[in-house]
Amino acid sequence: MKKSPKVNEVNEFLEIASDFEDPLEVIRESLSNSYDADATEVEITIQNQPNGSDIIIEDDGDGMNERDLESFFDLGNSRKTDSIGYKGHGTKIFYKSDRIEVTTVHDGTSYRAVMDDPWEKLNRKELPEYELTKNSVRSGNPGTKIRITNFRSGYGFDAEELTYNKIHHYLKWKTIAGSTAHYLGEDMREMEIAVTLDDAIDDTRAQLVTSNRLDFPAEQLEPSEGEYPAERMCKHYPAKEIDIEYEGGETTLQIVGMVGGKKTRNELPTYGRHSAQFGIWFAKDHIKVERLNEAVSHDNEFLHFFFVANCQDIELSANRENIRNKASPVYQAVKEEVEYYLSKVTQDPWFKSYLETRKQADRQRRTADQQSSLKDRRERIEKMGFEPDNKAEVLLGLERAAIEDQSLSLSVEDFDPNADVHAILRQNGRLRNAAVHQTLTGLFEEEVPLENTDIAVCWTHGDPAELKEYERNGYFGGEVSLQLEEGGLQYHNDDSRYIEIIDVESLLTSKAVPTADD
Amino acid sequence: MIGADRVGVDPLTEYFDASMMSVSSLTDYNITKERYEAYLETPIKERELFEPFNGVVFADSGGFKFLNNAEIDGSDFEVTMNQETVYDIQKALGSDIIVNLDHPIAPGDSHQERVQKAEQTAENIHEFLNLTRDFEGAKYLTLHGYNYSMMTEFLEVITNEVPLGVLQEGFDGIALGSLVPKKDNRDALIKAVTDCREVMNDWGFENWPLHVLGIASRAIPILTALGADSFDSSTHLHNAINGKYNRSMMEQVPLDDVDFTECDCPICQSDLLVDRMRGNTEYQKDVLGPVAMHNLIVQKRELADLRQCIKQDGTDALIEYLEETFSRDKTMRQYAHKVVNQSLGGYF
Repeated sequence: MKKSPKVNEVNEFLEIASDFEDPLEVIRESLSNSYDADATEVEITIQNQPNGSDIIIEDDGDGMNERDLESFFDLGNSRKTDSIGYKGHGTKIFYKSDRIEVTTVHDGTSYRAVMDDPWEKLNRKELPEYELTKNSVRSGNPGTKIRITNFRSGYGFDAEELTYNKIHHYLKWKTIAGSTAHYLGEDMREMEIAVTLDDAIDDTRAQLVTSNRLDFPAEQLEPSEGEYPAERMCKHYPAKEIDIEYEGGETTLQIVGMVGGKKTRNELPTYGRHSAQFGIWFAKDHIKVERLNEAVSHDNEFLHFFFVANCQDIELSANRENIRNKASPVYQAVKEEVEYYLSKVTQDPWFKSYLETRKQADRQRRTADQQSSLKDRRERIEKMGFEPDNKAEVLLGLERAAIEDQSLSLSVEDFDPNADVHAILRQNGRLRNAAVHQTLTGLFEEEVPLENTDIAVCWTHGDPAELKEYERNGYFGGEVSLQLEEGGLQYHNDDSRYIEIIDVESLLTSKAVPTADD
Repeated sequence: MIGADRVGVDPLTEYFDASMMSVSSLTDYNITKERYEAYLETPIKERELFEPFNGVVFADSGGFKFLNNAEIDGSDFEVTMNQETVYDIQKALGSDIIVNLDHPIAPGDSHQERVQKAEQTAENIHEFLNLTRDFEGAKYLTLHGYNYSMMTEFLEVITNEVPLGVLQEGFDGIALGSLVPKKDNRDALIKAVTDCREVMNDWGFENWPLHVLGIASRAIPILTALGADSFDSSTHLHNAINGKYNRSMMEQVPLDDVDFTECDCPICQSDLLVDRMRGNTEYQKDVLGPVAMHNLIVQKRELADLRQCIKQDGTDALIEYLEETFSRDKTMRQYAHKVVNQSLGGYF
């Protein structure tokens, strides 16, 4: 006996509609549908409502016939074959609302389909129905108007967050409104897109009007003046169509892009942070889907690049956020081709000069930083005199003291800042092991073994109370007795050891103030 | 080809048109004095064994061995190796192209060591030019260094001993040496050859051919595009020894996986040699000999294509060649891009 698996229709609709959270995805769907219907103008209106938002999409496209309307409401029954929306999932997002009204004129017939309470019914496990009426009209004025009442966004989403700015950037980054097809000289139809938000959502302007083209910022091959000369540099890399053969077929890759500095990138719309948007994009229908930033090696930083690699043979996941056929030979072949193309871009002498400009500017900024930091340091010296703040400077002080007072008969012969016993001094002709610290307390704090130390060199003794504590509590099982007046300390462990203390500050009779050389 | 009559293949003079010899290949191998002397008795091309080979014999001086040994070791034959002996051997081999005895530098050499080696080489050059006045073949001047400054310095030291005019008059080409330790560092090779061409230009050697000593197959297309004219390579042999059959200059496959019908070279067209390459012969040399020859033919054919691309007007053909050769080779393609950008006008 053969049995067919069954589908619970209501649950399927619920599932698919729930997959989409963002009302902006409604716009993405609608724009693609309008473009496919040869529309030249699309108007989108969003009004804030107490339980959600009303979304109205109107276009002057070819309209839908009865069969198209069925696809519009059906699940998995799209009439498209390869372009976006071929799974017939997209419009099901509209089911998250209180009412769907579609009015469409196609070939002299006007159709009106109304579905009431789709979301409520689905949640009651009831399959919503739509009422379809049709009338003959004068041909010549086709088009479609879709009105979604009380569209429910995902949790935590508020229609008020939908500013013009956000919608604009979303359109350019995530929908066909951000198509780069025009760079490929394709027969691309221009489509004017107008978005109107009611004042409760955004009253900063009356309307947003844009096209279905994403234009790169103007080229600027030379560096600018100023602190960040590379920030407005920009080069366009001309669109290229590459035929690719792979095991099992052939496909076409269309690739176009630009390289640019931060200021250039800021001229492009961005949906989210730049770091989340720039890089190498795979696209289908010229709508960006997923990035392949590893196509540029790590040291080149993907952030400087914006490339769109369009291929109709990549397949998308149901929510269109990911590529589904990554394991396929076609994806692998396209990916390799993209990587190869980008390897040429990263070896382009212009790109290298751009990086070089950045590097030089960075160097100049560092020089400037150095200047101000050096100025601070010099001022501090003028004011405070010599004051070591590391071990090497303590030794520098010691050497200076030895020069000032020849009778000390001291010189530094060797210095290893990473060793416990940092320096080897020559004292009265003999080599002696010295631990060097800014303060004597530092020697104990760093838990230096004293067994091989002949001399403790320090700038000052440090906190006498702390030193007393070592005297009181002992040091690594041994005892310490300080004889600071005599310039030494006694360390008793298994053995007894006398360690000479050289306190450099007291050796330098007067704080030397160097004369400025400028 | 040697022994062509025995294996029933037409002479492959088209492919076997030049041979590289090194003086050190005689002196370094543990042969007897008698064998050594016998070897030098008759010039290569006059030996019956090599009939009808009439290609070019390029005899290196063996100076590269200075990297490993303090001196070329001629002690087995009671011969003191110096410029004069080296030239005598080159002459005895019947060489068509010779180089002076040089002291190649090593990557770890100090500045002082490099200068010293250049000074030693300069003395040899002086002597070489005296010795070779009547030599009828071509003379290549060895040049050592990894970049423009090192090569310039080398020439400055040389011209302290031998005036530039004498160098220009006395030599016919440049043999760029010391690159073997850097053979796997493509960036270094590209830099060396690019800079060498620049140095040649600045020193009045711009019309001379440039031979790159000891650098082999995979780097060849790139270095050729940058202006190197000839190479000496034993990659075809080494590949064969390792059981590798060249599908192209870039691609080798294990001998066991080869479909010989896919290749139209005279070796793979010979039933006898294919049978041998399949292992149906007693001696391993009879298996690998034809493989080596096949590998050489593949390389030579590809080089001929490459030359053809270079000869064409414009750079498109050469760029296309590099594209085809390297587009799927992730490790090499960045260098191909570098060459396209540096010498061929770039992609964009």
